[in-house]
Amino acid sequence: MSLLPFFEWLAATRLSEAMSASVWAFAVVEMFHLLALAMLGGTVLILNLRLLGLRLQRRPVAEVTRELSPYSFASLAVLVVSGALLVIDGPLRYYSNSAFRVKMLLLTIAVIFSLTLHRWAVRSENRGISPGARIAAVVSLMLWLSVGLAGRAIGFL
Amino acid sequence: MTILQICQWLNDSPLGTSIRESDFSFALIETTHVLGITLMAGTVAILDLRLLGLMLRQDEVSDVAGQVLPLTVAGFVLMVISGSLLFWSEAAKMYLNPAFRFKLVLMLAAGLNPLIFHRTVYRKVASWDLAQPTPAAAKTAAVVSLALWTGIIVSGRAIAYFH
Repeated sequence: MSLLPFFEWLAATRLSEAMSASVWAFAVVEMFHLLALAMLGGTVLILNLRLLGLRLQRRPVAEVTRELSPYSFASLAVLVVSGALLVIDGPLRYYSNSAFRVKMLLLTIAVIFSLTLHRWAVRSENRGISPGARIAAVVSLMLWLSVGLAGRAIGFL
Repeated sequence: MTILQICQWLNDSPLGTSIRESDFSFALIETTHVLGITLMAGTVAILDLRLLGLMLRQDEVSDVAGQVLPLTVAGFVLMVISGSLLFWSEAAKMYLNPAFRFKLVLMLAAGLNPLIFHRTVYRKVASWDLAQPTPAAAKTAAVVSLALWTGIIVSGRAIAYFH
């Protein structure tokens, strides 16, 4: 099954026409995308460094998670909404961009990993740091970094 | 020699030309620049949110600052080195770019803000490390910092739209 008809349908929507007709819409939405990226990057980094025992060691993992994850989720929501609008600006441009395809795949893996194995590692964490939690932290950092790199690559292809 | 002439000279230097004309090195440096900004602004935002009392309230301000600032500095170094190289490769164009000029002013202000903060209210941090709410001066510094870094990211991105 190809997703091409979906992207063609998107391109024909009024929102897509309005976005691509506007000079500044893409730029403004892209700036929100970047700002949310910085916030997500910062919170994901600190949380995973805590899991590795490298930052905020004196606070329980559960507490650091409770403090930081609302900001991670809020920034992810802004990223998804602004990212969807960027695609709507020119759906066919993204459909054929291989960096975009790789990014969507990595993003799906990163989100699923965060909600399953990573969450489980955070929850099972007590005072000591288990090897499983360390691995989860490193995998999470690599996944989110690669999502960012693939995202930047979209513009270079 | 005018500033424009200096920029033109940088622009035309072998290093400037080689970065500009190689797709690969420009893309690589720019990606490093975005990563540096994420590291810098993302971690500075955590300290700012702590100063505003919105995050990690049970942790001493000085502890959060001590934990977060080394990462912020690392992001800053990455950002400045990659940013200088990007500027080098397009110096003449950058000199005339209004978004770039605006960004430089904001960066100057963003540099002054922590200097003032560390010399004033942060000096007595031991007396308000766990205070709720945090002092008004600390909150002001945090709001100014968040606003300036938002402005720097926005104007930095806008540089490309003024090309």
